[in-house]
Amino acid sequence: MKTASLSPAPKASRKLTRDQLLELEQKEKTSAQKLADTAITLLPVVSGLAAMLEYALLPNAFANPRPATYFVFLLILFCLYTGALGVGLVQLTKGNKHLMQRLRHKAPLYTLLFLLLLVYDFLTLKTAILLQPFLPCVNSIFNIAWDDREYLIISALYSLRLLFFGYFIGVITGLVTGIACGYSPKVRYWVDPVIKFLGPIPSSTWIPIMMVLVSGHFFGASVFIIALGVWFAVTVASMTGISNVDKEYFEAAKTLGASEQQLVFRVAIPHAMPSILQGMTQGMSTACTALMIAEMMGVEAGLGWYITWAKAWASYNKMFAALIVICLLFTAVTKVLNMVKKRVLRWQIGVVK
Amino acid sequence: MVQTTVLKLDGVSKSFAKVEKDDITHALENINMEAGSGEFISLVGTSGCGKSTILRLIAGLITPTTGQVAVNGTEVLGPDPDRGMVFQKPTLFPWLTVEKNLSFSLRMKNKLQGNEDKVARMLNVIGLEDFKDDYPGQLSGGMAQRVALARSLINEPDILLLDEPLGALDAFTRMNMQDEILSIWREKKQLVIMVTHDVDEAIYMGSKVIVMEPHPGRIRAQIPIEMEYPRNRSSAQFVEYRNSILEMLNYGVHE
Repeated sequence: MKTASLSPAPKASRKLTRDQLLELEQKEKTSAQKLADTAITLLPVVSGLAAMLEYALLPNAFANPRPATYFVFLLILFCLYTGALGVGLVQLTKGNKHLMQRLRHKAPLYTLLFLLLLVYDFLTLKTAILLQPFLPCVNSIFNIAWDDREYLIISALYSLRLLFFGYFIGVITGLVTGIACGYSPKVRYWVDPVIKFLGPIPSSTWIPIMMVLVSGHFFGASVFIIALGVWFAVTVASMTGISNVDKEYFEAAKTLGASEQQLVFRVAIPHAMPSILQGMTQGMSTACTALMIAEMMGVEAGLGWYITWAKAWASYNKMFAALIVICLLFTAVTKVLNMVKKRVLRWQIGVVK
Repeated sequence: MVQTTVLKLDGVSKSFAKVEKDDITHALENINMEAGSGEFISLVGTSGCGKSTILRLIAGLITPTTGQVAVNGTEVLGPDPDRGMVFQKPTLFPWLTVEKNLSFSLRMKNKLQGNEDKVARMLNVIGLEDFKDDYPGQLSGGMAQRVALARSLINEPDILLLDEPLGALDAFTRMNMQDEILSIWREKKQLVIMVTHDVDEAIYMGSKVIVMEPHPGRIRAQIPIEMEYPRNRSSAQFVEYRNSILEMLNYGVHE
């Protein structure tokens, strides 16, 4: 619709769903392609079965107590996929291809996952080719994670507490300084040198210094260190975001009666939001790094501490258990942040292509 | 029209400091003009003759170096929604839906409550009811410019300042919107001041055409267009106006 005249589009084309539109515009698949699609969609089932059979049938190289845990884990993954496949097939008969296309899209990844599990299990539990006990088999990691769940959960909660304290303090102070700097040249005059000189220092560098300075209050010191990194990322991002607002938007808002304060909160900040959120994401990754280093170096709680502690006792499977928890935790945190981002920036859909 | 608005520019000049050299650009020199409600003034001239500067002075976005801009005898000191402005780019806020863009000024003044029907009426006037929940990124150039126009009109401004609002539109959309703006003006009888590069557009729409010349920006002539609306672009009178204005502009360049 290039012109402004609004002749109503024909009814049929208006009713078209997004999927139907995509399908209309796509090339018809050849029967060979269709066959390949089916085969690829089925691959995870095959590789899943292979992983389960390998684990259950091959003889172990060393003792493997409570062998059911890993098998159940594989079985659950397998059932999830085949279950989704079943639902997809039912939907397909109703003409809804969405789920099937998603499964086809993800199938190679899931296949690889099962294969990696299979190979890892073969190299550890079955043949002990990988040096034992430094790389424990998945079953023993799961078992130890379950046995030590209380400790792991408490450690995870401690980590989360430290992370969020530091992160939110960093985000809030970062937003305040960043927005003030972006909008007011006077504030910028004073804050800019601080950012220029202190900013490039990775926040983890401060940890030994802080350990000397405040040996008693290590929690507070770690919060400070995490917040510092986040503060830097968010300040820089919101500052650039705000100073990049087109002058025209301010002028338009002024002629529409916006006050000075409204120019900041209704124009500058929304306009800088993509940049601010990018800074927040970047800040989260520095926060996670700083958290782990802080916990490994001085804080006597949390998952980072758990890993160093497990290492000291040479219980390598505990280290890996903590690693898995860390992975799950940080993935979840990033996911939540992305959801917030998507929601706040939904106006960008169609603008940025 | 019960109350009339009088805009007066009294010996206005405006200079800008150059960015690189320690030098000054004289954008406008000694501008005197007076205009009132019900007038549609087209400002034409080559680029660099200070057309847009005049609009921005009247809007209150910049202050004159010397002289005074006054509305009804009160000096203009800053922007006000009573002097609505539409820019060449639509400058819609991309993070707000069409509806929220329209109601922006009402919300800024906390006057949205009780005025929701105004927003609905405006949507109706510009024919974009179906697009009220869309974001500006999804609109075509013409649609976006209509929303920008409506966004200024929702305050029922006494003075409407148009800074080449149709400059970026294709020829057909442009002609449609010329008629739309004219019909709004003929209904509300505000004072409209429009900057344009297009002499035809200036004559087609303006009740008066002000021709400007550059270096420094001055008013060369004020030409009342004595033709009935809607005007015929190919009538002899129209062509005569066009020729005399074009001649003036060329003359200014040769000198």
